[in-house]
Amino acid sequence: MSLVEIKNLKVHYPIRSGFFNRITDSVNAVDGISFNIEAGETYGLVGESGSGKSTTGKSVVGLEKVTSGSIMYKGKDITKKANRKSLDYNHDVQMIFQDSLSSLNPRKRIEDIIAEPLRNFEHLDKDSEKLRVLQLLDIVGLDADALYKYPHQFSGGQRQRIGVARAVATNPKLIIADEPVSALDLSVQAQVLNFMKKIQREFNISYLFISHDLGVVRHMCNNIAIMNNGRLVEIGTRDDIYNHPMHIYTKRLLAAIPETNVSQRAEHRAQRLAVEEVYREQQDKYYDKDGLAYPLVQITPTHSVALPEALAEQLKHEGEVQA
Amino acid sequence: MEESLNRHSKISAADLERLSKEAKGEATPSSARIVWNEFKADKPAMVALVIIVAFILFVMIAALFIDTPKMMETDIMNYNAAPGTNGFILGADTGGRPIFQQLIVGARNSIGIAMGLTVISSTFGICWGLISGYFNGLIDWGMQRVYDFMMMLPMTMMIIVLVTIIKNYNAITLTLIFSVFYWEGTSRLIRSRTLSESEKDYVAAAKTSGTGNFKIIFSEIMPNISSLLIVDTTLSFAENIGVETGLSYLGFGLPMHTPSLGTLIANANDPNNITQYWWTWLPAALLIIILCLSISYVGQVVRRSADASQRQGAAD
Repeated sequence: MSLVEIKNLKVHYPIRSGFFNRITDSVNAVDGISFNIEAGETYGLVGESGSGKSTTGKSVVGLEKVTSGSIMYKGKDITKKANRKSLDYNHDVQMIFQDSLSSLNPRKRIEDIIAEPLRNFEHLDKDSEKLRVLQLLDIVGLDADALYKYPHQFSGGQRQRIGVARAVATNPKLIIADEPVSALDLSVQAQVLNFMKKIQREFNISYLFISHDLGVVRHMCNNIAIMNNGRLVEIGTRDDIYNHPMHIYTKRLLAAIPETNVSQRAEHRAQRLAVEEVYREQQDKYYDKDGLAYPLVQITPTHSVALPEALAEQLKHEGEVQA
Repeated sequence: MEESLNRHSKISAADLERLSKEAKGEATPSSARIVWNEFKADKPAMVALVIIVAFILFVMIAALFIDTPKMMETDIMNYNAAPGTNGFILGADTGGRPIFQQLIVGARNSIGIAMGLTVISSTFGICWGLISGYFNGLIDWGMQRVYDFMMMLPMTMMIIVLVTIIKNYNAITLTLIFSVFYWEGTSRLIRSRTLSESEKDYVAAAKTSGTGNFKIIFSEIMPNISSLLIVDTTLSFAENIGVETGLSYLGFGLPMHTPSLGTLIANANDPNNITQYWWTWLPAALLIIILCLSISYVGQVVRRSADASQRQGAAD
C-alpha cells in the first residue's frame, strides 16, 4: 500500500459577482488529479506557474480546503479536519516552503522556530528539547550559535536549511517541498538539495517535490507527474518522462531546459523552435475543446499520458516500432 | 527519532551545556537593551521620557497629600489671586481655589482616565481586530457589522446622554463609558494588518507545526505587528488625554467638584480669564501640550526599536 493515495482531488475557488454576490463561476486550481506517493521515495510534481501544483501540495499537508476527492493516509481520508486531528497528521506530514524568509517568523529565535513542532507534538523536557534542536541544526550543517539568533541574520541558503530542520524535527514520513530551492542561487540550491537527500537516506522520508525546474527534479525524483492547468498530463518514472515523453506539453517543458554547451547553441535553438512549432500545430489534438488535458491513459505499467484513446494507441504503436 | 538523531549527529547530551553557553554568547541583544540603546541615541526622546516618568510619579505621589474636598471649597477672599500672593504658587481661580494644587489632582485624574481608557479600549480593539482578521470569512463578516453599527452611533452625543442619565458617576464609570466607544479605530487598523499578515507563510508553517489558532494569533501574529500596536497605543494615549479634557471643557466630563485638566482649561470660557487672569487656564494648556508631545516622542523611539531597519542606536 502506498504511503499517501490521492484520488480525484479537486480544489475549486468560487468567483462571486453581481449584486447579490452569488457564485457565478469557479477557478479550477486542481481539477481531478490522482497519484500515489510511496514510502521513502521522492515524487516530483512539475508544471508551469499557476498549474495548481502548490495548491495540490497545500491540500496534501492540510492547509487547503478541498472541494472534492480524497487523500488517504493510514486508511483515513485526511481532507477531513477531524481525521487529521485524530491521526496527529502533521506529526507525520510536514512542509518546506518556497520563501525561506517569510516562512520563518521574524520575531522568533531559531530555537523557538525549530522547537515549535516538537512542543506541539512531542512534549519533551527543556534540556532534551534543546539537545534535539542542536542535533537538528548540526544535521543541516549549522553551528550551535544559531540557536538564539533571528531569521534575518542568516543567508537565504541557511534559512532554507533551518526550514528543512524544522520540517524534519518530528521525524515525519512525508515532507511536502514546495519549490524549496527556486529562490536560491545555483550553488546554494545544490547544497540544500544535497542536505535534503542526505536526510532522506538517514530518516527514510518521502518527499513530494514541487518544482518547475526539470533539472532539479531529475536530480531528486524517481517518479514524476507533469501538471498543466490543474490536470495531470503525464506521469511516469524518471526514465519515462525524460527519455520517452509522449505529451507535447512534456516535450515542450523538456525543450525549455537551458543547455550550457555554447558550441551547439544554434542546434539547440533550432530544436526548441521545432518543438514549439509542433506544439502550435498539434495543440488541438492533445487538449479537449475547452483547452484542458484529457483523462490519463496507461501506456506502460509505470507510464500514463493524458491523450484521447485513438492517439494514445497510435503513439504506443509508434513507440513499440521504434523500440 | 531520538536514536536516529543520535546516530547521525555528533552532538550528544554531554555537549549540551557547552553549546548552549556558546550560543548565549552569540545571542542577539534582548529587546529591553535595544529600546534603551535607541533612547540613548535620541536625546529629545530621552528628555521626553524623563519628563513623562518624573511628571507622572510627582503627580501620583503629590496628589496623595492634597485634601481635595477642602481644596475645592470656595474662598471668596482670594478671588482670582495672582500667582505668588497669599501663598498661592500659581494663583487662584474665580472660586479662590489654588490652581497649583488643582493642577496636580487634575493631572492625576486626567492621566488616570486616559491610561484606563487606553488599556481597556486598546486591548479590546486589538483583540477584536486580530480575531476578525485572522479567521476571516463569516466570523469577520459578523464582527465587522458590529463594528459598523458602533461606528454609526454619534459618539459624543451618546457619551453626553449617558453621562447625563447616570446619576452618580465618577472617574471609573466615565472611563468605562468612554471605553465603549473608543476601540473601533484601533480594531479596524489591526484587522487590516492581520488580514495581510495571516496570509504569510510563517502562519501556514505554524499551522502545519500543530499550533492552535489562538496561540498563532497572540504569539505569532501579534509580535509581528507590534510596531503598529505600539504606535497606535501611544498615539491613542495622547489622544485620550484630549478626550476627557475636551468633554470636561464642554461641561460633560468629570463632575464639578473633581478637578481635571479639562475643567481647568474650561476657565478659558470666560473672556475675562483669557485677557486678565491667564494663570487660571494657561498652565493646564501648556501641560497638555508638553505631555502629548513627550508621549509621541517616546512612542516613536519604541516603534523604531521594534523595527530593525529604522534603528538609530548602536548595536552595542
